[in-house]
Amino acid sequence: MWIDLAITMVKIIFILTVTVGFFAPVLTWVERKQSAIMQDRIGANRADIMGFTALGLFHIIADALKMFTKEDFIPQGANRALHTLSPIVALVPAILTFAVVPFGGQYTLWGKEVNLVISDLDVGLLFVFAISSIATYGYVVAGWSSNNNWSLLGAMRTASQMISYEVTMGLTIIGVLMAFGSMQLTVIGAAQENYYWGIVMQPLGFLMFFTAAIAENKRVPFDAPEAESELVAGYFTEYSGLKFGMFFMAEFIEMVTIGAIMTILFFGAWHIPFLTTATLLSMFDFLGDSGANLVVMLIHVGVFFGKVTFFIFVQMIIRWTLPRFRYDQIMKLGWKILLPASLLNIVGTGAFILWW
Amino acid sequence: MAYFVDRNVKMTWWERSYIPEILRGMMITSRHFFKNLFGFVPFFLGKKKDREIFTVYYPEETMQFPIAYRGRPVLALNEDNLPNCVACGLCEIACPAYCIDIIPGENSGKQNKVERYPVKFTIDYAVCIFCGFCEEACPEEAIFMSDQYDITMLDRKKMKYDMEQLLVPVSELKDRMDFCRKMYGKWNY
Repeated sequence: MWIDLAITMVKIIFILTVTVGFFAPVLTWVERKQSAIMQDRIGANRADIMGFTALGLFHIIADALKMFTKEDFIPQGANRALHTLSPIVALVPAILTFAVVPFGGQYTLWGKEVNLVISDLDVGLLFVFAISSIATYGYVVAGWSSNNNWSLLGAMRTASQMISYEVTMGLTIIGVLMAFGSMQLTVIGAAQENYYWGIVMQPLGFLMFFTAAIAENKRVPFDAPEAESELVAGYFTEYSGLKFGMFFMAEFIEMVTIGAIMTILFFGAWHIPFLTTATLLSMFDFLGDSGANLVVMLIHVGVFFGKVTFFIFVQMIIRWTLPRFRYDQIMKLGWKILLPASLLNIVGTGAFILWW
Repeated sequence: MAYFVDRNVKMTWWERSYIPEILRGMMITSRHFFKNLFGFVPFFLGKKKDREIFTVYYPEETMQFPIAYRGRPVLALNEDNLPNCVACGLCEIACPAYCIDIIPGENSGKQNKVERYPVKFTIDYAVCIFCGFCEEACPEEAIFMSDQYDITMLDRKKMKYDMEQLLVPVSELKDRMDFCRKMYGKWNY
């Protein structure tokens, strides 16, 4: 019993380290640096410790210090309690979704079954969507409680956009569920062991899911809620210091979540194509049973986070390539194109399953 | 409800399907990204960096400006170590910002070869608008626009440069002098 608890604790600490401790801060640097290199600039490289700049990586520390020491400003006429609460409501669901995200398969280590997921829920996928839509409350309440017109407009746009695209997202997922016959993320991941990846079964579903996911994360080209040129900063106009940092962190962690969910549903989770777990295990047979399992586990975790990193990279490229959609274009794309297309996708998948 | 604006854009079916065009745009940005990313590699092999980046690290490096660039105006110090200025006051009159202040004096025989010389010549760079009219007005080739533009002080009074700070040897102003002769010579003043 104690050993189970210890394993769970290790998994939780690992996930928190990777998302909050590694991805969220490093992505702030990556976004600045990647955009700079993409636009033939140099990017952040001035913060230095004893003359070392480390390609601008110390800007992460500088940013964190700045956010910690800044004045925590609450505007006049704002609802103080909700204004303080909303960044928490926005950030916590972003981290919480990782509770059901598997980052590896099942391995036998010294007679102990290790399942690399914190909580292996039967309805894992539904849990992800349920929790991530709670974050919408955080954004809407943040906009409303700020007592600021820009914030309120940003919050309204957030609400309409999130609701519109959540419908598409949910319907796109139905196709994946029909293809794999399960909502358990570990089962979906394990089903893509060889080359039966989700993208092969649901190519249209992948495109629509990717579009809807970027819209859910409110990044360019769907950044109408926080459009700098129109609404100053949208729903977090009136936030400063670490509360602003929490919104910022939530956005980057959501990027990681989208990358992880996309990897699990469409890109073979932790598997390498044409290399099944059994083949990998036989390759490392000389290390003994547990040793081979350990090596395969490390490979799988590495492969999984490699794929996640690739999808974060793709999201960044999209962010720095496309211009922002107009508000009516966002609504038109959501309701008139993506929704019928996702419904057709379900019908097509059903027909395929029925007649083949 | 948004109203429809006919922008007279004729798009083919391929362009209107949107996704291929997105991919094309992403190809362009990623090409720049990878070219600039791996342009570092020749640097470690001891060659020149193969990148398209033209950022200048400002305080450490400065740009080489074209000769027509108008920086701060300076006074020319000729080969005999005397200022070319004869304190005629034409630049003072030409200055639209009234930043030049000259106090002329009568030559006692050692300051200059002509009868007048500037006892005091000050330019207030906090007021100067870098227009170059003084240079154009000068009949003696005594005042020139240099390529220095970064005059920053914490005290506004220090922005007022006097004679000693303004004088620059004429050998450093050779190019600008040639440019001025060509430029203003064709109007035949």
